[in-house]
Amino acid sequence: MSTTWLPCGDYHQSYQEDHGWFQTRFLKGKMILLALCLFVLIPLVADSYWLSVCNTVGYTILGALGVQLLIGFCGQVTLGHAAFLAVGAYTSTLLILEFPWPGFLVNWGLAYPLSIVIAAVVAGVWSVLFGLPSAKVKGFYLILTTMAAQFITVDFIITQYVAQIGGRGQAFSLPPGTIRVGPWVIDSDLKVYYMMTILVILCIVGMANLLRSRAGRAWVAIRDNDISAEVMGINVVQYKLLAFFVAGFIGGLAGAFWISNLAAISPEHFPWFWSLWLVGVILIGGVGSLHGTVFGSLFMVLVLEILQLAIMPLADTYPKLLMDFLFIKEATFGLAICAFMIFEPNGLAYRWWQIKNYFNLWPFSY
Amino acid sequence: MELFLMTLTTGVMVGGIYALVALGWVLIYKCSGVLNLAMGELTLIGAYVSLSFYSMGMPFLLALFFSLIIGFVLGLLTERIFLDKLIGEPVLTVIMVTVGLSFFFKGTVEFIWGTDTRVFTPPVFSIEPIRLGSLIIGQVYLWSFVAALLLLIIFVSFFRYTRWGLAMQATADDEMAALSLGVSARFVYATAWAIAFMAAGVGGTLLGNINGLNISVGYLGLLVLPAVVLGGLNSIPGAIVGGIIIGILQNFCGAYLDKYFPGGVKEIAPFVFMAVFLLFRPHGLWGWERIERV
Repeated sequence: MSTTWLPCGDYHQSYQEDHGWFQTRFLKGKMILLALCLFVLIPLVADSYWLSVCNTVGYTILGALGVQLLIGFCGQVTLGHAAFLAVGAYTSTLLILEFPWPGFLVNWGLAYPLSIVIAAVVAGVWSVLFGLPSAKVKGFYLILTTMAAQFITVDFIITQYVAQIGGRGQAFSLPPGTIRVGPWVIDSDLKVYYMMTILVILCIVGMANLLRSRAGRAWVAIRDNDISAEVMGINVVQYKLLAFFVAGFIGGLAGAFWISNLAAISPEHFPWFWSLWLVGVILIGGVGSLHGTVFGSLFMVLVLEILQLAIMPLADTYPKLLMDFLFIKEATFGLAICAFMIFEPNGLAYRWWQIKNYFNLWPFSY
Repeated sequence: MELFLMTLTTGVMVGGIYALVALGWVLIYKCSGVLNLAMGELTLIGAYVSLSFYSMGMPFLLALFFSLIIGFVLGLLTERIFLDKLIGEPVLTVIMVTVGLSFFFKGTVEFIWGTDTRVFTPPVFSIEPIRLGSLIIGQVYLWSFVAALLLLIIFVSFFRYTRWGLAMQATADDEMAALSLGVSARFVYATAWAIAFMAAGVGGTLLGNINGLNISVGYLGLLVLPAVVLGGLNSIPGAIVGGIIIGILQNFCGAYLDKYFPGGVKEIAPFVFMAVFLLFRPHGLWGWERIERV
């Protein structure tokens, strides 16, 4: 078998080969190029504005990964994922602000990384709590319980109780210099960008690995038909809850990461809109595909940025357009979801797959 | 005791409005199987349209009538443009289209009318409360309840006694049989959406009269979800009873639990109740229980 190009057709002789990460040298080169792009080219070229756009993309990817796992791979529709992001963000912030860290941990800059891990675990457990109904209900009913998770967590528990801890009022602001990873103080868009890139790569690689393990196959089986999965000997409830845990974990990670980019966090950063936004992102990108998560995030964030740039010149004549851009953004997002669902229900990842297949056979396709 | 009675009556009256909106929701689900998450935004649109007509100086009933007509047209258009193409698609696809619609509607409403709270000026219903013995009821609540009740009766008799209503019932019951008897399913779907828009519009207008009109009225529209889950997704009496029960529950939680859990108990209680209720009786009080086969 060629080590540079994949032949047209499936000539793998073992499962190991079939599941291999880098099947060809070409692919390896492509990945190195991508890494170079991410770590060298973008930081060199992009100014602070575009770096912050990149950070938003990364945050969206991290948030949407959990949703993708639940909806795309396990078939458990969730409309309340922002709640777990909020749990992660608040846990991490509270740990940094209130927890009596031993002096050496703070000096080594481990307080923030440790708080991220703890926040992710807490968010995971919180997510399992609201995943419990999935043992009994599914489909539309599960949508309703996850919706309830959003309202109970963000609008009630966090707004009314957690946000009052320490008497700071609604918003928690982190004093400068508290967000430290090792020797680096995360205080510029560039540093946030590097942290984001590393986290996103870790999470995507972790997810991809998880999906080719026993757990991943069990999830896909549950998604395709939960009754037959049970007949095959998969403990459906256990694996569903595991999916909720992992999704909540990644969500918590995303939330805890995002506080490095916010001057102050408040419950308004995690509205129901954001939960629906994440679901919209994976639908546009493609359900059941890790590529789709990335494509969807890129597409949604970039399209809205471009829309904003396009509106700028009109703003002189119609200032209302820019003033109420938030609402235009909402309406556009809604229309984009409808259009994708009607005209491209398989999302951008399907298009990508088609293009790849075309070039796989090029120039002698049937 | 007085507080109890007051809370109960207020609950029933607000619940009447929820019941009206829930009726629209159930109607769409029964006829076309679409689980609609955009109901809150439908109430918003209707409310803002009638507010606009009213502030142009029309009498209230005329404004309401015009908003009904606009709701009817918008309902037909929405069904034709967005949902007509989705018949037979997976549930998630259809739900997400309604979510997309809700964003679209909400963004548009906010863009046109802004986010400030608006009130019906001059007030439609007099502020002077009505006293029944020791009971004090705001006129807004009373008239809203009467209006909701009246519309419920109109809608229910529409389904019972008119040709179109019967056609819709037949489609909801068995689409294939209805098709073979010459009922146009597309017509039925479109009518269902139009009626849902109209019911939601009236509900929104009434809710807007109670506390002023802003985006949070759309959130009240979301309360139909607990109501329909309680009643059973495909039961019209269930929607009415569910709406009233949710109204009562909400007001009782506001009156009695607020001491212990300050803040938004009133807004959250229906959703907590719904989450717990789903664990025990997912198909609701009168909904059909689905038996699954591989």
